[in-house]
Amino acid sequence: MAQMELAGKMYEVDEKGFLQEPEKWNESIAEAYAEMEGVVGLTEEHWKVIRYLRDYYLEFDICPMVRKLTKRTGVSLSRLWELFPQGPANSACKWAGVPKPTGCV
Amino acid sequence: MGKTKVSDISRAGDEQLLELTSLDWMTLPCPSDQPLSIRPLPDEQRSQIEHSLDGISALGIPKPTSKGEEDGLVQSFLNGLRKLLSHDDNWTFWQPLVYSLESCVKCQTCSDACPIYLSSGKQEIYRPTYRGEVLRRIINKYIKKGGRISSKLKGEEIDLNWPTVARLAELAYRCTLCRRCAQWCPLGVDNALISREIRKLFSQELGIAPKELHDFGTIQQLSKGSSTGMTPVAFRDSIEFMEEEIEEITGRRIEIPIDKEGADILLLHNAGEFLSWPDNTEAFAIIFDALGISWTLSSDLAGYDSVNYGVWYDDVQLARIVLTHAEVANKLKVQKILIGECGHAHKTLLVIADRILTGELNIPRESALPLLEDAVCNGRIKLDPSRNDFPVTLHDPCNLVRLTGIVEPQRRIVRKICPQFREMEPHGVENYCCGGGSGFAIMSSRNFPDWKMTVSGRMKFKQVLDAFQDVGDPEAERYVCAPCSNCKGQLRDLLSYYQAREKHSVFYGGLAELIVNAMVDLEQPFIQWEWH
Repeated sequence: MAQMELAGKMYEVDEKGFLQEPEKWNESIAEAYAEMEGVVGLTEEHWKVIRYLRDYYLEFDICPMVRKLTKRTGVSLSRLWELFPQGPANSACKWAGVPKPTGCV
Repeated sequence: MGKTKVSDISRAGDEQLLELTSLDWMTLPCPSDQPLSIRPLPDEQRSQIEHSLDGISALGIPKPTSKGEEDGLVQSFLNGLRKLLSHDDNWTFWQPLVYSLESCVKCQTCSDACPIYLSSGKQEIYRPTYRGEVLRRIINKYIKKGGRISSKLKGEEIDLNWPTVARLAELAYRCTLCRRCAQWCPLGVDNALISREIRKLFSQELGIAPKELHDFGTIQQLSKGSSTGMTPVAFRDSIEFMEEEIEEITGRRIEIPIDKEGADILLLHNAGEFLSWPDNTEAFAIIFDALGISWTLSSDLAGYDSVNYGVWYDDVQLARIVLTHAEVANKLKVQKILIGECGHAHKTLLVIADRILTGELNIPRESALPLLEDAVCNGRIKLDPSRNDFPVTLHDPCNLVRLTGIVEPQRRIVRKICPQFREMEPHGVENYCCGGGSGFAIMSSRNFPDWKMTVSGRMKFKQVLDAFQDVGDPEAERYVCAPCSNCKGQLRDLLSYYQAREKHSVFYGGLAELIVNAMVDLEQPFIQWEWH
């Protein structure tokens, strides 16, 4: 398993850099991921998405469908792509420290 | 480099049999013809992972660290190969495998039918017959009596060493199992089946399989409930959300029934729909409601996920999931299983499961497409085709069309409700694979995604562009209808990779969505382009 330094500490990550231990996540980790993708300073809109993803993941053990994410947070699909450069799965889930769904998705 | 020979697969060391370069590849129409390259594996991976076939790693096979380990792996391979050739050990596919190994006359008709061979610029190692010939030579030399002498006399050179085994494992994952080669073969030889049986050998005997198909695929489906990682609780939450969406669109509360005992139909969707394409599930619910059908979904383990990745690589996992699906249907006391828009679930449950399900487990299993055809073409729901007045083409999922033979129902539907429908060329049973077949759409480790976008998906992407060539308005949304979740995933990634939405206004989606989009009862369009 690969290791990655995030906000001054080493964490287990997968091949794509996703955190392998979601419970070790903290806000500094989200900021560190964002900086790697060129986003410095997270806005309330970012946090709203990240918090929704984390809460959903902790309750259901999987990320929600993106449609639900947009409806519940009020952040549109196009806005999600503006906020998270690699999109909801590859950026937002990663920054929130939760894994992307697998399978035919 | 001269023409690669079959015996080159045994070449010692790390040297690749093929250096992939876009200069060799089939040309794409402008402006998608810019040279694209495949990222080489990083040095760290090159030193640790087998990549000596073509520099791509689908499997991430660790390099053995000693000669002893290599020899052990080669021996396991040989043991597995003996099992493949034993009727008792391989009762599922022994007959077509042996027929295919014994009957090929190497006429190479299949090569010109293979989209990977053609797209790659006719690379020898991607010929459908290449891997079959490697396997045949190994069998002739190392398994048949007196093989070493007769192989030498016949000039069938091959060395069964670790590089041969490692390259063959990767090579089994350079074929999408589309079976276009088998369609063209004058003798009915199925080289795709040979690929699939090699995959099975590696999975069942050596524990080598793509983690997306095994660990996160069949293992997760049987332990957690779905290859997506979705648990029954999350499934119910997603369905509730879809009911909410349906109400917003139709103005009516339509129940999506779950675990309704005694319903006529158990509908099996690919669980990918629930996460990535919920409008497909919603469309089925709206249509079934309009038809007054008695149906249900299941929230049982694997009961809400039609996938069976075992069909691509492993008979044990295949059988376990088939049995689980049949047991779920029996528990709910339904009359039949109906399969939604998932190609390999059609292959598995309509065709292969006949070899596995007996007695009371042999519950009737049907495709949903004829039912949808009946609804549309016999006027059971009120439809207004002018609502679908945009260019539409149809992708034929290999497992649904060429393999299962369901060719016309989806065509009669789109001809009836899509005024600007146009066929791709070629189409129907002669279609080309999306390039994501046999699990490639979900395999995304290392540099494999680059290969499936540039090589295996190349022919389909060209077909899509060609199908819309005559559309004048550059802004007009074009819809590629693909009634299969795996194909949809691959098409989405292809359109994104080649920026086809931005450059060509090409979108994609399923079949049921087009039907609901044409329903006169709906006040607003069902298809929302930003989600396609």
